[in-house]
Amino acid sequence: MRISKGEIFERVFVNEEVNLQIDQEAGSHVKIHVINASFSITVNQLGEGCITEIYGLENLHGDESVTAETHVTHAVGGGTSNQLVKFVLADNSRGSFIGDLKIAPDAQQTEAHQTNRNLLLSDTAEMRTRPQLEIYADDVKATHGASTGQLDESALFYMQQRGIDKQKARQLLVNAFMKEVVETISDEKIKSDVLLLFEEEAF
Amino acid sequence: MSKLLEIKDLHASIGGKEILKGVNLVINEGEVHAIMGPNGAGKSTLSAVLTGNPAYEVTSGEVYLKGQDLLSMPAEVRARAGVFLSFQYPVEIPGVSMTNFMRAAINAKRDYEGKEPISPKEFLSLMREKKKLLELPDKLNNRSVNEGFSGGEKKKNEIFQMAMLEPCLAILDETDSGLDIDALRIVAEGVNKLKTPQNASIVITHYQRLLDYIVPDFVHVLADGKIVKTGDKSLALELEEHGYENI
Ligand SMILES: Nc1ncnc2c1ncn2[C@@H]1O[C@H](COP(=O)(O)OP(=O)(O)OP(=O)(O)O)[C@@H](O)[C@H]1O
Ligand SMILES: [Mg+2]
Repeated sequence: MRISKGEIFERVFVNEEVNLQIDQEAGSHVKIHVINASFSITVNQLGEGCITEIYGLENLHGDESVTAETHVTHAVGGGTSNQLVKFVLADNSRGSFIGDLKIAPDAQQTEAHQTNRNLLLSDTAEMRTRPQLEIYADDVKATHGASTGQLDESALFYMQQRGIDKQKARQLLVNAFMKEVVETISDEKIKSDVLLLFEEEAF
Repeated sequence: MSKLLEIKDLHASIGGKEILKGVNLVINEGEVHAIMGPNGAGKSTLSAVLTGNPAYEVTSGEVYLKGQDLLSMPAEVRARAGVFLSFQYPVEIPGVSMTNFMRAAINAKRDYEGKEPISPKEFLSLMREKKKLLELPDKLNNRSVNEGFSGGEKKKNEIFQMAMLEPCLAILDETDSGLDIDALRIVAEGVNKLKTPQNASIVITHYQRLLDYIVPDFVHVLADGKIVKTGDKSLALELEEHGYENI
């Protein structure tokens, strides 16, 4: 699909697999959230001054397996892209993140950020992360970060010392981890629906 | 006066290394016990073991809270039964607001006592009242637990939580360290206001100064994993003057 000049395309997908190929014309804005589903999103910034935002939040249980894939290309300069993908993996779940970020030689003054953070809640859950950055322009601001960790034991004990049981403590920590993504949803109604989706979950 | 806490020949280790080497202590309701002792003696280890920190292993000994076997209770049950630790190093919990944290703690305790969850109105006014006691700012509610708090603010926040939860046994692990003179007075006054004939506290400190405000009934010296000397408040003065060398 093509997002024409100055147009805004904004979608939140919940429990729905997403496959998108998007070409952005100058000054257009793409903002996509995918919650609890695999996705593959390819975005080409073909005009100047585009904004691309891709957010993924995957909360996996049992034998679930989810792949999050992004391919963002800045063909032209002056654009911005921001990717934030978070996985919470319980039980035997599997997650993978593949993130390609390309900044073409002519795409000067591009700002591009890619972050992938993952929380493993069990020893048998598994996360694979494969970021791939190809930056050919020199006047750019690009950051990327990937990390996979576990719940902070000292925070868990601190909460237990205040009478909060381990399960509730885990839930508070996991919700805190996920909140960063949920809070980027613009629509207040959708945001609160997504929060509700996670609120009552046990970890 | 009835017995609140009884520690019998307590041994504990971490990472296979024995830290507590036979601690004995009886605390009655209404008493304040100060514990002093050199760095690395095992004071924080004792706090950790009493509160059920899973990083430590109790190798032998017994501990009773109001006659109940404390060591067999999970950490959160000990807390609900009224054991509170003001941490030497309070933990930062990004993304968890003080409000959500405190509400979960209060409701866990109420549930344990067979009470209904606290109403939002009652909760907010309780927060307001206790914040005033510690002279903490209103905006605290929305901030993440301890995140970005200054050293002194963290210590105040510990005593604020103590005020919210009204424990029967409070262990204050170096609550005075990092506090400026005014904050020390506020914190000490807060602790004194929370004192009742039914509760007790263990005050771990390196400095006599705190004990001018919170006057102990007993002062113990913990050295190399054991209580090696017990006296009244004059022992703290003596230690301040001569150090631990003669003990
Ligand atoms: N994870 C650990 N592994 C090995 N040794 C440890 C560990 N944690 C603590 N210790 C050791 O246990 C001993 C007792 O530590 P503890 O924190 O109880 O001392 P303390 O009396 O509270 O000292 P301070 O006055 O400095 O706070 C120290 O020698 C410390 O190095
Ligand atoms: Mg200590």
